[in-house]
Amino acid sequence: MNISITGCGQTKFGELWDSSPRSLARQAVFTAIADSGINKKSIQAIFVSNMLSGILGMQSHLGALFAEELGIQVPAFTIEGACASGGLAVHSAINSLLSQKYNTVLVLGVEKMTDHSSEFISSALMGAGSNEERLAGATFPALYALLARAHMEKYGTTESQLASVSVKNHFHASLNPLAQFSHPLTLDQVIRSSSVASPLKLLECSPISDGAAAIILQSSSSPKKDSVEIIASEVATDTLGLANRNSLTELQSTKKAAKNAFTSCGITPSDIDIAEVHDCFSIAEILAIEDIGFDKKGEVAKKMEQGKYRIDSDGLVINSSGGLKGCGHPIGATGVKQIIEIYNQLLGQCKDRQVKNAQLGLTHNVGGTGATAVIHILKKHD
Amino acid sequence: MVGIVSYGTYLPKCRLSLADIANVWKKNPEEIIKSLGVSEKTVPSIDEDAVTIAIEAATQALKNFPQKRSNIGALFIGSESHPYAVNPTSSIVGEFLDIGHNYLSADLEFACKAGSAAIQIVASLISSKQINYGLAIGSDTAQSKPRNALEYTSASAGAAFLLGSSKVIASLEAYTSYSSDTPDFWRRDGSKYPSHAGRFTGEPAYFSHVINSANLLFQKAQLKASDIDYCIFHMPNGKFPRDVAYRLGFTEAQLAPSLTVSQIGNPYSASSLMGLAATLDIAKPHQKIFMVSYGSGAGSDAFLWKTTPNILTIQNNKRRNHDLVSDQIKNKTYINYLDYLKQTHKL
Amino acid sequence: MISPIKIWRNQKKYAQQIGKMGTIISWSLINVPPEGFIDQSPYPIALIKLGDGTNTLAQIVDWETKHLRKNQPVIAVIRRTQEVTSDEVVAYGIKFKPCL
Repeated sequence: MNISITGCGQTKFGELWDSSPRSLARQAVFTAIADSGINKKSIQAIFVSNMLSGILGMQSHLGALFAEELGIQVPAFTIEGACASGGLAVHSAINSLLSQKYNTVLVLGVEKMTDHSSEFISSALMGAGSNEERLAGATFPALYALLARAHMEKYGTTESQLASVSVKNHFHASLNPLAQFSHPLTLDQVIRSSSVASPLKLLECSPISDGAAAIILQSSSSPKKDSVEIIASEVATDTLGLANRNSLTELQSTKKAAKNAFTSCGITPSDIDIAEVHDCFSIAEILAIEDIGFDKKGEVAKKMEQGKYRIDSDGLVINSSGGLKGCGHPIGATGVKQIIEIYNQLLGQCKDRQVKNAQLGLTHNVGGTGATAVIHILKKHD
Repeated sequence: MVGIVSYGTYLPKCRLSLADIANVWKKNPEEIIKSLGVSEKTVPSIDEDAVTIAIEAATQALKNFPQKRSNIGALFIGSESHPYAVNPTSSIVGEFLDIGHNYLSADLEFACKAGSAAIQIVASLISSKQINYGLAIGSDTAQSKPRNALEYTSASAGAAFLLGSSKVIASLEAYTSYSSDTPDFWRRDGSKYPSHAGRFTGEPAYFSHVINSANLLFQKAQLKASDIDYCIFHMPNGKFPRDVAYRLGFTEAQLAPSLTVSQIGNPYSASSLMGLAATLDIAKPHQKIFMVSYGSGAGSDAFLWKTTPNILTIQNNKRRNHDLVSDQIKNKTYINYLDYLKQTHKL
Repeated sequence: MISPIKIWRNQKKYAQQIGKMGTIISWSLINVPPEGFIDQSPYPIALIKLGDGTNTLAQIVDWETKHLRKNQPVIAVIRRTQEVTSDEVVAYGIKFKPCL
């Protein structure tokens, strides 16, 4: 595809009371521009990823807003697909480069969630689901809890196995200075945390976070040595609500997007060294690893419990950034941050959480309960 | 001859025992239960109201109505707890029951006799041949102020009567009504809880109107109490209906099947209607039923019903579906006083 | 303020649902509710398979712990849904209660 990531920037994720969406965006973007070494005038378009600004803050039209704020008055677009907004924005940016309309673009994912009450946010997040789900009083934890229960019924997955996802991701987050959480968790702490929507507990749910992440993408027929290329970008769509799904124990959108991504660049799941997957809830990570094809359905939960997928284990590492649970989940920023984590891993820039010899990486970003899935595959160019 | 074609009832699942209420206010539970003749009352769920309860009762009634629902030409709902001061409960219910649009509806209010007034109005529309079938419903989620005496009995239920002039299970042989201006119990617009005038609610209110209306009916129908098989009176508690039955010459046995109050409390507009349903559940064909409602303010509607052989089919269907009043009384879950406060929107 | 017109348009389809039977496929007891459902919580939601083979997602009412299980038969009823202020139109919708 000849698409290179030439610069990245990310703010810390967390409860950033002093930061506004504008200050978060400036921080992430100017870091990315500095990282890339380009002049900001060479950016030809901006793809903004955000879900809640219109609902929570009554502010839409973010393309125009950030173009002005950043002093980059070029064509600007907002891409929204619930929690997959980031992945979709990257995908759209790539398409604009492939069309040769532009050769240098900025993708900015930004979200400010902590200005509002958690009940209001919970209700706003249900904008990612169906009207029927909203009228039933469902929340996102509850919808994923339905999936968790179905998985436990069919494959015997246990609460303890689900809890081990959070343990791993908090361990990774403790090694990531930009993560929301810096403290490791024990299995016991996760299992004993209060029930949010049975069987999911508080410490199995990703937090409410503020944050921004930005990348510069360029088309390059001759990428530099030690650069990172995006070699696959695929999107798949499934039904908006759970009621019309074919299955409760797999996300068919993930399966489809992953299959298309691997086929498009001629590699297989076993070639991937490191992946950032969409762990909005513990069960989501289990489903992701299965549905992308890294491991067999029904076998991942046990492996997770046994310590697989950790930085200090052999083989594939999942969510070295801490994932959504450990690093935080500012909705619009997550999909872009996932790209940044893989970029840094492939370039050996991750210090304490560095995965050795990472050559091929994958990001997996999901919207709602699986209505949208976006897969990117990244390769180190040597 | 106008009469009941089918009927349906609904009781919310939760019960609060009077002993629990008495203990909250440090009163003697046995004394209260004995003097009121009530041991527990129904409490609606937080998401139930006069609309949802009317829909449940009417849906049950419509189970035994073989005609197209669009044949229903009138829908009157009586309640003291209509969700809106302006916007009719009856047309909201009519829409959910899918009875089409060719019907007359209005909401009725006359304290506890709004439901029985609905029956007289619908019956009149049928006998004048303006309509073929009509629904009369009494539905309430009655409110009372905590610690006030009314708290022991104010309850919740719905009863729906589908009236027509063919294949009736009980014909309406005669009816009378007696009304006056008597301020025994009232609630001002915008006020959350009703107020009452203490002992004035007895002799000059309940007894005067029930007895007067009953006597008008005895005269009109040329009958006395011993000619009748069953009687039903409005049940604000367990004492008043027993007292007035005795004074009108009825026996305990004639009254007994109707006394739902001891297990469900007083569901206001649905009170005497529930008593009627409970009696219809067990009556044999060709039996006479004497029913007198009472609504504060004040008034009394009196009815003489005569069952027909058609009643047996409906009783069998209800028995099979566990739709009898006795089934609904048994289907219960106990809650405590705090849950009662939450569920009735006091907390 | 919830649009009364949206409520009106949504409610048209509910009359047909009343009395429909189904079985629970999966369920979750919600302890942390969203705005508009706080007074009703905790409450279960469930994915329910209906007689015609389609699925629906709804709140379960009048339940006991023994009813929260796969294959539990349930029946559709009308109840109040989102909590509204005293000036707003009341929102009604379909919920399911366990069958006896």
